[in-house]
Amino acid sequence: MRVLSLLLLLWSVPALAFELEDLQARLAATPDIAGRFEQTRYLADLDTELVSRGRFRYERATRVIWILETPVDKRLVFTPQDATHLDGTGKDRRRQQAAELLLSLLDGDWRALEQRFQITLAGDAKAWRVDLVPRQQAVRQRLDSIQLAGGRYLQTLRLRAANDDTLNVTFSDQRPLDADRPQDGESADGE
Amino acid sequence: MASEPHRRLAWLSSRRLAWLWAAILVGCTLLLAWQLRDGLPSDTRLTALLPEDRQAPLIERASAQLGQPFENRFVVLLAADDLPKASAALAERLSQLPDLARLDWRDVDLADADPGETLGDYRYRLLTPALKAAIDADGGATLVEPALERLFSPLGSPQPIRDPFGLLARWLNVQDDARIEAWQGLLTVRDGAGTRRALLVGQLAGSPYALPTQQALVAQLAAFERAHPKAELLQSGLIFHAAAGARQARSEISTIGLGAFAGLIVILLTVFRSPRTLVALLLPLIGGLLFALPLTLALFGRLHLLTLAFGASLIGVAIDYALHLQSDRAIRGASFRLRPLLPGLALGLASSLAAYLAQALTPLPGLRQMAIFAALGLIGAWLCVVLWLPRLRLPAHPATARLAERLWRATTPRQRLSPWVALIGVALMLAIVAGRLEFDDSLRLLNPSSPQRLAEERQVQTLLGSDTGSHYLLVRADDEAALLERLAALGDALDARIDAGLAIGYDNLAERVPPPAEQQANLARVRRLYGEPLATLVERAGLPPQTLTRARATLDDVPVLRVADWLAMPAGERDRRLWLGRVDAAGGEQAGMLAATLLLTGVDAPDEVAALQQLAVGDDAVSYVDRVARLSALLGELRRHIAGWVVAALAGLMLVLAWRYRRRAWRVAAPALGALLGVLTLFAIAGIPLNLFSQLGMLLVLGIGLDAGIFSAEHGRHPATWLAITLSTLTSVLAFGLLAFSATPALHNLGLTCLIGLTLVWLLVPWVRSPDMTTRQENA
Repeated sequence: MRVLSLLLLLWSVPALAFELEDLQARLAATPDIAGRFEQTRYLADLDTELVSRGRFRYERATRVIWILETPVDKRLVFTPQDATHLDGTGKDRRRQQAAELLLSLLDGDWRALEQRFQITLAGDAKAWRVDLVPRQQAVRQRLDSIQLAGGRYLQTLRLRAANDDTLNVTFSDQRPLDADRPQDGESADGE
Repeated sequence: MASEPHRRLAWLSSRRLAWLWAAILVGCTLLLAWQLRDGLPSDTRLTALLPEDRQAPLIERASAQLGQPFENRFVVLLAADDLPKASAALAERLSQLPDLARLDWRDVDLADADPGETLGDYRYRLLTPALKAAIDADGGATLVEPALERLFSPLGSPQPIRDPFGLLARWLNVQDDARIEAWQGLLTVRDGAGTRRALLVGQLAGSPYALPTQQALVAQLAAFERAHPKAELLQSGLIFHAAAGARQARSEISTIGLGAFAGLIVILLTVFRSPRTLVALLLPLIGGLLFALPLTLALFGRLHLLTLAFGASLIGVAIDYALHLQSDRAIRGASFRLRPLLPGLALGLASSLAAYLAQALTPLPGLRQMAIFAALGLIGAWLCVVLWLPRLRLPAHPATARLAERLWRATTPRQRLSPWVALIGVALMLAIVAGRLEFDDSLRLLNPSSPQRLAEERQVQTLLGSDTGSHYLLVRADDEAALLERLAALGDALDARIDAGLAIGYDNLAERVPPPAEQQANLARVRRLYGEPLATLVERAGLPPQTLTRARATLDDVPVLRVADWLAMPAGERDRRLWLGRVDAAGGEQAGMLAATLLLTGVDAPDEVAALQQLAVGDDAVSYVDRVARLSALLGELRRHIAGWVVAALAGLMLVLAWRYRRRAWRVAAPALGALLGVLTLFAIAGIPLNLFSQLGMLLVLGIGLDAGIFSAEHGRHPATWLAITLSTLTSVLAFGLLAFSATPALHNLGLTCLIGLTLVWLLVPWVRSPDMTTRQENA
């Protein structure tokens, strides 16, 4: 499978190869980012869309702060290590895995993702797209595919569940954060 | 004149018997060759020595069922710098094992069985205590916020119709109390110091006692450690203990066994100065093995490695008969006749057989095998001695007679032992034994694992928060509802004690399958939650109004989760070991009742045991079981049984001895009994507790000591007899005494007892020889 994905990868990348390593290096060039997001969740069962908007702050390889503004006010923090359960009782293994996955996606940590997904890259440095398909049957029963696209920054993240639900997140107004500004999430929220 | 044809007839028949015996041995050899066509079917399981618990078949079944998952599974914890890479390398190696059913090491390996799918229908009847409390408090209004988060978090996977409040996910999270976390695609655990270790769990398709699997596993791990010198491995699982035990047994057979054999050859060559005699003396040994091996294999199907180690040494006793015969012949030369020796040889065999066959009557399958192996070997060797040795022409070296004369002079006591001194000595020793001797029936005796391996096992169990199920409550009831009620009530009682400071954990089936009444109450709670709070959620999230009606419709016709349903699901697989189902009417159990176990974990202090025993007091339906204590009690019972058998065998033998030797019978019994008393006294003084295996050693001392006493009484004041007795005790000390150096506790205890006891036998024989005895063969 790994050989196959490598072949696909070579196939899709013509002459001046833009490779996953290049993309990872490019994404890593801006360690911390702040911006806005719009998230659309399509619920196939109800044939309805839930749209939410807000700000986010992303600290590379550390955490993501998700500040919902509409329709509800909420501040969510995702870290791979201490994803405590909603009501604080015990750990939530699946939620922790999801948080880890989200950070790996935002980091462009292909090496970690490679173990679980077949990864294909298309496009060039200015407009790229990465498709991820789960390798394990057990994961495919829940998750159909993940698609990332962007240029300098990651611009859209699209997640398709096996039950035809989709999650579509568009990032906008993205700007790098100064390294010498306080790293504390709380102070960043105030802006 | 009349005696001539009679003698010829006897001669002919003895010759015919010798040939017949040769034919039997050839048959045995062929049988053995056929049995060994695929290698020796051997067994290294030390627990095979343990008896079945006949009194309590239900407890036996519960214990076996609780321990079973740990038998066929092994766990390796790996700490390394580059954990993902090292784990992949180790997994690669382990997956090459021949008998591996599956290997879990990636986080997705555990995701195979998604419990959400199969449990979906029952979710409205399963609530965590926190959810129950929240709904009981205010109808569940506080649950709206987390539900909103689930809907709008990019990480959530909301199901607004089937489960808008994520009840099932929360219930599953509470059940999942394992300390395993996913990290970089691996399964990992962290200890108190924060060290992260990768977890690899292997499932064996075959037995953990299969030698090829053990060897392959050990080889792969060793190769991995060579390739990753900095990596640290922790191992847990029966297969590692079994492999270590088998390795130890093999190395001891080769060192102790070969050492004893080499010593034997040196001694025999020194005394008889003839390689031909040496071969003739070893002939009974080979004959005994050829007779015992195929018949034991035919009887038991497979041979325990311990039987081989112990039984092969036992057959070393067989050489005694050859020694007596050859010592007599070497000194008498042409005047040698077999007939005068026969009564002594026969009595010697009878006393040894009585001692070993007492073991065969024990309920320990392993001991039974050893005893039958030894008894068959002795019979085989004895027949070789009696039927073949007299017919072989063997050179008699004059050095043998000189040696016997010198030994006789050097060891014969100058004066007689005063009976009063002897009696006072015996009384004193009896007092010491009665006052100070201790007993030890702990299971440690059966456990060949080194303290390091046991510590490592405990470390892994602690890191994983698991337990091998040695303490549990056995609960019975008339039907499933009553049984679950009872389990739930016990869970509440345990919770109360844990809140009060009792440092234990437990694993209760009633937490996964609540009693039907509880399930009904939970459904009522969910109906309440689906009233006002659900309406609020739908409105605040901006979900379409049809969500409300459709979600509420799911609460019609919710099935009750039954034990059988749960156990059939992948998620319930872990609980199958807790469920015993219908009880047979045996061992005082009432037929038709249902039974289950409530597993207690982390029970390691006596006051904890006392607190738990309280739970079962006064309730016939609940019993507290401590497997280790129970097995120890069985071992103790067995030890007392064997003691009883020894006394009975001794009493029987004394009757036979009194019949043949009349008033001299005490002289026959004195070396053996004196040696036993000496061993007990020494143990009492040194503070060594008496255990099952030292008692088996005493059985051997008794057998060999009686042999010595019989030969001494039969042919008392004769240097040849004394030489034979000396040689026989020396070879027996070599065969058993060397086991004192074994690292296997069972063999060590046996060896130590033999070493001391046999030495005492040899020291005692010269003092109890009758002073004015005319030898029997001169009368005959």
